[in-house]
Amino acid sequence: MINIENVSMKFNLGIEAGSLKETFIALFDKKRRINKEKNEFWALKNISFNVEKGEVVGIIGSNGAGKSTLLKVISGVMKPTSGKVEVAGVISPMIELGAGFDPELTARENIYLNGAVLGYSKDFIDKKFNEIVEFSELKDFLEVPVKNFSSGMTAKLAFSIATIVNPEILIVDEILSVGDIKFQEKSKNKMMSMINGGTTVLFVSHSLESIKELCTKVVWIEHGEIIEIGNSEEICDKYLKYQLNN
Amino acid sequence: MKTLKGMFANFKRYSFLMKQLISRDFKVKYKRSVLGVLWSILQPILMMTVMAIVFSQMFKFKVDGTNYLVYLMTGIIMFNYFSEASNMAMSSVVTNFTLINKVYIPKYIFPISKCLFVGINFLLTLIPWFGIIILSYFGLGEYTCHINIWYLVLPYVFICLFMFTLGIGLITACISVFLRDMFYIYGIILTIWNYLTPVFYSIEILPANLQTIFKFNPLYIYLTGVRTIVLSGECPELLQILSMFLYGFITLIIGLFVFKKKQDKFIYYV
Repeated sequence: MINIENVSMKFNLGIEAGSLKETFIALFDKKRRINKEKNEFWALKNISFNVEKGEVVGIIGSNGAGKSTLLKVISGVMKPTSGKVEVAGVISPMIELGAGFDPELTARENIYLNGAVLGYSKDFIDKKFNEIVEFSELKDFLEVPVKNFSSGMTAKLAFSIATIVNPEILIVDEILSVGDIKFQEKSKNKMMSMINGGTTVLFVSHSLESIKELCTKVVWIEHGEIIEIGNSEEICDKYLKYQLNN
Repeated sequence: MKTLKGMFANFKRYSFLMKQLISRDFKVKYKRSVLGVLWSILQPILMMTVMAIVFSQMFKFKVDGTNYLVYLMTGIIMFNYFSEASNMAMSSVVTNFTLINKVYIPKYIFPISKCLFVGINFLLTLIPWFGIIILSYFGLGEYTCHINIWYLVLPYVFICLFMFTLGIGLITACISVFLRDMFYIYGIILTIWNYLTPVFYSIEILPANLQTIFKFNPLYIYLTGVRTIVLSGECPELLQILSMFLYGFITLIIGLFVFKKKQDKFIYYV
């Protein structure tokens, strides 16, 4: 379903500092040029793994290990510097909820806008509109601009829009912790029903509990490199030990 | 060719998103105002009135043998379309970065939707513009502008102008991602361009050799095309008609090409 081969990703950390003066100096000053090369940062190094249909794969690692970058490469937001990513199927990215919201628009308008951003058609949103509203528990706030929403309400709305499709591949980045406890339960159930329905899931989380509970396989990344791939219980325990000893 | 084909296929797939983005722009623009969308027509009327008073009453500008008011307004609304649309298209990629960073969306959607959004506003300004033409029958300005068959050519000119604007918008959007200074530079370029384009004066007041250079300005050709139709009631020459298309088409192709080539790198710079 997803085939990742030797994927590497390079970032240029110094990119923002490239003022006219510095660029000019770098032209003549070799030392500075070398410095600039030091600014290169490999967020991912030679990552290879496969995900089969119906698998639920957890991705764990410290902050800045490259988890989110990996998800962005898989969902097509970024192109890898080298290597190949092959994806067979429709991806529904839930990388950051509410990215497509316009704070000035009402919830109703934002459902259409965000739906369009996620690639849904108008007919589809029309048909699923009530379902989205019901799941988000925001029926009374449909005509309120999203800027007046609390962050929990925004997240609920975004989650409801993102999960209304039955995608072949679902990418989830730390979003199961949105909303109140009741909504968390609800969203977890929703995820479970999607998983049971045969959706392939890539799941990034710092909650080892939910990783163990949901995932069939875990990929552990540190400093852009794969440390280990395997059974979720086993890897999670090793990871926990590693985290505590560091 | 293949990339172009792919672009069109994508275009169809994302047309709903484009509609949503355009309607978002409209909603956000007029949400808080009492008169709302009415401003789309009211604003150009007021602007036209001010400009008309400044140029024809205070500065006593005149273009021989034509209705100066219509001459001026044609120039203003067309140049304004170009400057506003290309300006908004330029910043559209940078301002939508939060989206680009999170979901895959073909990035050319943003400049195109901005050019279309301003385009719809432009069509609305044609209403008061047409109003002035009708008023010329009742003695507004010295000369009457006769409505004629060549008005059918107007949409063609507008489409060519749209292609040209979009092409420039794509190129400037691309540059502005890598070089934020472009926002300021382009503002100055637009001001200079405004004065180099005969919006409120006639090209005939310039020395002959300058005139030849000025005639290469694509905006001059678009403006003159519409003025020939509206003011003199004639069809623009064949050469003009052709160059309108060529300027628009070639600029658009260059814009698409540059944009396509660079768009994968955008994400590292925004």
